[in-house]
Amino acid sequence: MIHDFHYLRPDSLQEAMTMLSEYGDRSKILCGGQSLLIVMRQGMVAPEYVIDIKHLNELNYIRFDEKKGLAIGATTTHRAIEKSDVIKRRYPVIADMENRLASIQTRNWGTIGGNLAHADPAGDPAPVLIVLGAEITLASLKGERTMLLEEFFVDYFTTQLNEDEIIKEINVPVLPPRSGCAYQKFNLLRNDMGIVGVAVKVTLNEAGVCTDAKICLGNAGRVPIRARKAEGAVIGQKYDEKLFAEAGKIASEECEPVSDIHASEEFRRHLVSVLTRRMLVAAWKAI
Amino acid sequence: MEKKLLRFKLNGLEYEIFINPKTLLVDVIRDHIGFTGTKKGCESGSCGACTVMVEDMAVKSCSVLAMQVEGMNVTTVEGLEKNGKLSPIQEAFLDYGAFQCGFCTPGMLMSATALLKENEGKVLTEEEIREGIEGNICRCTGYNSIIRAIEAVSKGEYKEG
Amino acid sequence: MSGEIRELRYSMFKTGVRYTVINHKTRNIDGYAKVTGRAQYTFDIKLPNMLYGKILRSPHPHAKIKNIDYSKALELPGVMAVVTGKDTLGIKQGIWRRYKELCDEQILAVDKVRYIGEPVAAVAAISEEIAEKALDLIEVEYEVLPAVFNPIDAMKKDAPEIHEGVERNINVTRHIEWGDVEEAFAEAEKDGYIREDWFRTSSQHHMCMETRAAVSSYTPDGKLTVWCSTQAPYYMQALLAWVLGLREGDVRVIAQYVGGGFGGKFELDAAMFCSAVLSKKLCRPVKIVFTREEDFIASKRRTPMYYYVRTAMKKDGTFLAREVRVFTNGGAYTGMGATALYLTGFFCSFPYKWRAYRYDGFRVYTNTLPSTAMRGFGAPQAMFCSEQQIEWMCKDLGLDPFEVRRKNAHTECYEVPGQAYIQSCGMTQCIDKIEQWVKSKGDLGPNRAIGISAAGFMSGGIFNWFDTPYSFSSAVVIINHDGTVDLYVGCQEIGQGSNTTMAMICAETLGVRVEDVRVFSGDTGICPPDLGAWGSRQTLMAGNAVKMAAEDAKKQLLEFAYAEMGLNIVYDLDIKDRWVHVIARPERGMKYEDLVKKAIRAKDGQRIVGRGYYTPRRKGMISPAYSYMMQAVDAEVDPETGKITIHEVMTAHDCGQPINPLGLIGQLEGAAAMALGYGYLEDQPMDEGKILNPNLVDYKVIRATDMPKTGMIEIDTYEAEGPYGAKEAGEGLTNPTAAALGNAIFHALGIQLKELPFTPERILKALREKSEKKEAN
Ligand SMILES: Cc1cc2nc3c(=O)[nH]c(=O)nc-3n(C[C@H](O)[C@H](O)[C@H](O)COP(=O)(O)OP(=O)(O)OC[C@H]3O[C@@H](n4cnc5c(N)ncnc54)[C@H](O)[C@@H]3O)c2cc1C
Ligand code: FES
Ligand code: FES
Repeated sequence: MIHDFHYLRPDSLQEAMTMLSEYGDRSKILCGGQSLLIVMRQGMVAPEYVIDIKHLNELNYIRFDEKKGLAIGATTTHRAIEKSDVIKRRYPVIADMENRLASIQTRNWGTIGGNLAHADPAGDPAPVLIVLGAEITLASLKGERTMLLEEFFVDYFTTQLNEDEIIKEINVPVLPPRSGCAYQKFNLLRNDMGIVGVAVKVTLNEAGVCTDAKICLGNAGRVPIRARKAEGAVIGQKYDEKLFAEAGKIASEECEPVSDIHASEEFRRHLVSVLTRRMLVAAWKAI
Repeated sequence: MEKKLLRFKLNGLEYEIFINPKTLLVDVIRDHIGFTGTKKGCESGSCGACTVMVEDMAVKSCSVLAMQVEGMNVTTVEGLEKNGKLSPIQEAFLDYGAFQCGFCTPGMLMSATALLKENEGKVLTEEEIREGIEGNICRCTGYNSIIRAIEAVSKGEYKEG
Repeated sequence: MSGEIRELRYSMFKTGVRYTVINHKTRNIDGYAKVTGRAQYTFDIKLPNMLYGKILRSPHPHAKIKNIDYSKALELPGVMAVVTGKDTLGIKQGIWRRYKELCDEQILAVDKVRYIGEPVAAVAAISEEIAEKALDLIEVEYEVLPAVFNPIDAMKKDAPEIHEGVERNINVTRHIEWGDVEEAFAEAEKDGYIREDWFRTSSQHHMCMETRAAVSSYTPDGKLTVWCSTQAPYYMQALLAWVLGLREGDVRVIAQYVGGGFGGKFELDAAMFCSAVLSKKLCRPVKIVFTREEDFIASKRRTPMYYYVRTAMKKDGTFLAREVRVFTNGGAYTGMGATALYLTGFFCSFPYKWRAYRYDGFRVYTNTLPSTAMRGFGAPQAMFCSEQQIEWMCKDLGLDPFEVRRKNAHTECYEVPGQAYIQSCGMTQCIDKIEQWVKSKGDLGPNRAIGISAAGFMSGGIFNWFDTPYSFSSAVVIINHDGTVDLYVGCQEIGQGSNTTMAMICAETLGVRVEDVRVFSGDTGICPPDLGAWGSRQTLMAGNAVKMAAEDAKKQLLEFAYAEMGLNIVYDLDIKDRWVHVIARPERGMKYEDLVKKAIRAKDGQRIVGRGYYTPRRKGMISPAYSYMMQAVDAEVDPETGKITIHEVMTAHDCGQPINPLGLIGQLEGAAAMALGYGYLEDQPMDEGKILNPNLVDYKVIRATDMPKTGMIEIDTYEAEGPYGAKEAGEGLTNPTAAALGNAIFHALGIQLKELPFTPERILKALREKSEKKEAN
């Protein structure tokens, strides 16, 4: 049962920020509501004020610039991202990830800003965006700040967002040449939340040597985790499946998964190991 | 709680109602207005029984605050037929036996309709159809008859009109 | 016009097509209501003056109720009444009216709760929200008792006593035996092969899309009307009358559209009971709808079983004997679980001939959600164990699994000693067809294989534990002056298409079209009694009653036709597609509508009324007829992650004469989806009796993108006992799938999985064990 609340509908980002600064932790931003309404229904969250930003078209955009890269406004829906031509062309890994995020209905209404703010460790966009080096911009009446997305997540369902802040935009830099990305979540039903998910980005030099690698593990800890040791194992190396298997093992030791009804900790580690190896192969092949 | 005025179009008709702003779209449709075709099957946005179209887009009406459809067009299963004439997808569901208990059917039809609308003039692949109704659980049919029905409409075997 | 019809009919008779309705793809007659949103489910009902009820449930698996204080709840504005077990007659009810010791459930607990989720109080209020708030204001004082959660522990001497005086918590035992089991095993010991295995099956939930729901309206004249989501309106009528102290005739149960049943909705549930108790107290309609969570934690489930199977065969694959022992996790109450216990034992012999067979089943009470009937009614568990073990034995002996199954399969006119008479049986043909199909697929590559499983099922149970005074099924056919037909049946439409099937049987028999027949069902106020939709009984039993009623009406029409047409009495008359005619000369006849008008006039203005009823006689102990099938599942497993991909399910199926091919395909595909879920997805893990996944995020149900291709090969048989030769189709199709999937995994990876569901972790564990064994050797 959802508790009663005051419903506020700002007409601009400015107005939304004003409301946030006024009501602070007595309020909650509502965007697509695909996550928030569920927790409100369970009574886990009961704000006095709900600030509905779903209709803020000001934040609903996908822009691409050859220098600055990709900018996605916070209220852009998953579906819009999945269907975006420029994203399909320039960042197919994002479009593919979105295609397996929940169902069409949820993607039609749920937004990227809401997904990241919700900070479910099983969320799909975060690992992918993190390996792409994405930044997130938060705004409040006090001003804006931008940080790497991987620094945004603090704990289960907790982020750097202050109570007066709103996510404004996500930026994804242009991929360096000879880069490849891949993401896969392991689940039993095609569109289910991932039991674990692994995203990989690699960049090679002309000799085929890996100059940069980013590996991010979803649902393998409290927040999306960078597998830095595993990354270290492949940087400076050439395509080598044995090495990738080794990197997978390293990644499985770097993460902190839990046991739940869907998988034991041990199985999650095993999956991290297998998927890391497979995604390294896939990322390499995507170049 | 202060009530809020909500204005929107449901199945082509304008509605103006005062609601507690926490009211979900599904409850406005079913309880306040009284179109009970739309169903509910869960409390977790998982089953799709409550699927309606908002501006030709399938959404789960149990996961949308009614206030969010202010000024928009909402279509439910009751809006598919025109003057007693069934829409192509409804006819196809009958011919292909694409329902059993029928409880998922209204939501399924809305997902199917949105999918067909989005892809008008294009013949959908089986894969695309499956993805299009992935958010709708049917416990009875095993889906394949539903896939066949949508496929038939997509291929133009049923004509509007 | 009539000339045209004559032409058409004539050619039809010449080409030898026997039926004008049966076996023709027919649109579901409830379809218009269902595809337009008009179908009104209990969930949709809103009556004037209606209140909303909510149920307070036990948080403890086992506890004494010391005191319930609901004074604060009553003070909440909008709350109209609160009831507890003390406000009821406290009758221990159950479907077992003949066996009172098995009636053990009070629905609203009186002094003790035995599982988490058991109802302890119910509130009626002017809105659902207020009712829910009121639940928080009810204070229940419990004395928590030690609890036990699995049958093995519950049978121990020092286990907590769940029901007073029930020793070792053994709720029911069942024994089936024929032949000399010892002798047969001794023979195998000498010169044959014996194998024994332990298996464990899971807790699958019906997960009907419509959760349990009821609207009860008791009026000051002492009459109660209950709209509910049930498979068996007559049972509900009788049970409600019993527990409320009313006469059966004063209770009317209406179940017009039901959002799924699958065996989960033919017992009295708390939605019906609590709404009725509240309504009786307030004389206002009360509606209760379970949330999905309530449905998961407190409406019953498929019976989890611990299974021991020991099988003896000759070296050439001839089956000798089988010994089966089963311990089922009965949960807190008997429900329909006692029948599942019997049927699992019987179907573990299926579909084969055994010289000797012995089954001992124990249903054990535990402090968990009660288990009950679910699609397949004990048989999927049996097949899971039996068909995998047979496959393994074939492999052990290097025998062809098709050949072995064929050699031992039931055949027509076989008697399962002391248990059942098999009349029609297409088992061998099913095996042949699937063998051809499998062979045509060739090699499928690594980690992928086809697994097979045979199965069979009953067409309606010959059980009358309910002690009904009425025939099992009945029907009334009324022909109106314009030729339209009103068909009144007690059988219940729950999505399986029974209304359409009955309309088709009626139309075929009378010689009219399906659109001429209007079916009235699901209302005990106007329909003749029927035991309802469970145990696959509708097509055969209700179908026979409908056929008999239609024949009765038709006979009256034809008697009049002889007089009207002035025919030589040796001529045979028939009606087909609204044309009354001489069979030998179909062009000679008259319009059905004209005949009806005249016949009603001749009958002093009475409509033509036909009555039919059916109760199986001399058909053994279980069922009047049996369906047979063989299924093949093509599956692939990722040996690194244990993830299963299912490519295709092919089934050869003997269901006698299909009535509506459209409905049949739907049953097959629906069963496959549910049974595949049983095989690799669905389970209700528990911690100390608490179900850990009571929602559709965590309880996994197959979706469109996970559903494989399905195909069916029909095996034609004719069942003399069934209407137009029909048998069951739909429930039995759930039986072979988990085993066939298990066998596919066995052939793909060489592992034997003895526990359901086949989760990735179980698969990986089995693979590890296999490689460890290899290393050890
Ligand atoms: C059935 C189902 C399946 C799902 N499966 C997946 C899946 O497979 N993978 C996956 O990643 N996700 C999945 N999700 C989650 C879901 O899709 C996203 O979390 C959702 O899209 C969130 O977006 P929203 O706009 O609906 O956010 P809301 O629900 O409106 O908000 C979520 C949270 O974000 C906050 N918030 C929203 N917008 C902003 C903003 N601009 N600035 C600051 N805070 C904000 C809210 O206050 C709230 O705390 C699933 C959800 C459902 C219901
Ligand atoms: S009711 Fe289940 S998704 Fe809306
Ligand atoms: S028809 Fe029953 S759930 Fe789909």
